[in-house]
Amino acid sequence: MISMRNVSKTYIAGKPALAEVNVDIEQGEFVFLVGHSGSGKSTFIKLLLREILPTTGSIVVAGQDLVRMKSWKVPFLRRNIGCVFQDFKLLPNKTTYENVAFALEAIGRSKHVVRTQVPEVLRLVGLEDKIDSYPDELSGGEQQRVSIARAFVNRPPLLLADEPTGNLDPTTSLGIMSLLSRINKTGTTVLVATHDREMVDSMRKRVIALENGRIIRDQDRGVYGDGD
Amino acid sequence: MAINLGYFVRESVVSFRRNWVMSLGAIITIYLSLLLVGVSVTGSMIVGQVVRDVEEKVSIRIFLKDGAAPEDVDKLQADLAADPRVKSIKYTSKEQALEEFKASMTESPEIVEQLEVNPLPASLDVDTVKPQDVMAVVETIKANPTFVKVCDRPDDPERSLKYGQQIVNQLFAFTRVLRVVGVVFIVMLAVISLIFINNTIRLAIYARRKEIGIMRLVGASNWFIRTPFLLEGLIQSLVGALLALLTLGVFESFALPKVEQTVAFLNLSLSPGSMAQVAVILIVGALVIGLSGSGFALRRYLKV
Repeated sequence: MISMRNVSKTYIAGKPALAEVNVDIEQGEFVFLVGHSGSGKSTFIKLLLREILPTTGSIVVAGQDLVRMKSWKVPFLRRNIGCVFQDFKLLPNKTTYENVAFALEAIGRSKHVVRTQVPEVLRLVGLEDKIDSYPDELSGGEQQRVSIARAFVNRPPLLLADEPTGNLDPTTSLGIMSLLSRINKTGTTVLVATHDREMVDSMRKRVIALENGRIIRDQDRGVYGDGD
Repeated sequence: MAINLGYFVRESVVSFRRNWVMSLGAIITIYLSLLLVGVSVTGSMIVGQVVRDVEEKVSIRIFLKDGAAPEDVDKLQADLAADPRVKSIKYTSKEQALEEFKASMTESPEIVEQLEVNPLPASLDVDTVKPQDVMAVVETIKANPTFVKVCDRPDDPERSLKYGQQIVNQLFAFTRVLRVVGVVFIVMLAVISLIFINNTIRLAIYARRKEIGIMRLVGASNWFIRTPFLLEGLIQSLVGALLALLTLGVFESFALPKVEQTVAFLNLSLSPGSMAQVAVILIVGALVIGLSGSGFALRRYLKV
């Protein structure tokens, strides 16, 4: 699903944000990406979304070579990648239903598809009774569920989550993680960038640890290491 | 991909409501610039017609000296009549010239009464078949030896000839100046409208930056993101064009006939097809301004 070969990214005249990164993530995996802020997690995510290009190295996502990809094809790559962020990025003037539907409308899906898929995914995230609520009427955990529903409504093979529980209390975070885990069980590859130690330790999934732009550890059924 | 036309129209309307002051500004500047384009196009159509009319009326007048031998005058007339380019020749005697002059001075006939001698020369009016031939016929007349014998000013035969070409040339020079001034104004207004559209689109993009960010995130194609903004610029300029056409139409059907009454000797009415021509010019102009204005803004402010 994801394959990075010797990937380095150097922003203008600085030390590299990522250096010589080699990663393979198979379809259906659940992976934590851990590290302090500034360790290169955000750069990692941005590279996968092709918001930025690597300085050197090659990246293949869902069978597509991101370095050689024509810029007009980028939107079609992103339809294969669901995205969840710490700040939810919901539209405040749209209801739960409309926020999720917007993701389908924006890629030109028909009304029929919207009407069947949106309620289904809202049921999956457990918000079927909040479809007409606006974001400011929802709790943080509920808002994050909406944003997960929006990321998943198109059934992408890959789901990226950048600090999805950064703004949430531990109990709510647990709910979000079990939701992501359930999505992973449908066959979707899930990559979660986080520095939530308890979360990583309790889940016992594959952990990739970044420090100063280098991978210092990549371990199956791992924990958030002591030195990290 | 199924394009949802309703979505684009809805987005444009919402965006118009959101910053209608800027949109109105854009519409008004486009309206003014296209109105100016329309006025100058119809104006030059009318002037062109007037010039043609004047050319039709252009004839050559040869002034004859007092006491010119009648057989010489007859010979000159015969020479001219033999020229295929000449349509007609009319002789006006000194007495007839005085009568005509009296008739034109109805407001102060006493001036004419006080004349002790008739100062007006006799003359020949020569009409050509085609107005373009006037200059050539004038040259032929100048070269005619009989003309030199009978003309009013033998020392300077040229001044015994009067023809309308000078008037036509002056008219052309005047319309040329008018056209240059018009083009400068139109270009200035077009630039201003481009800046206005550019600004409204920039505001629209700013107002919707969150939506745009999410659209990019979920993989909306570039054209899906751009189309509402292009449509917005296009609608603004088309509304401006329609208003300009409406104004021109009102002017043409109400004001023009009134003006025509006051200058009855000129034919100011437009041919039936010319308003359609103006409409095509204005709408094409609007399309160009609308698309390029919003296109520039999208390139600068909407990196997709």
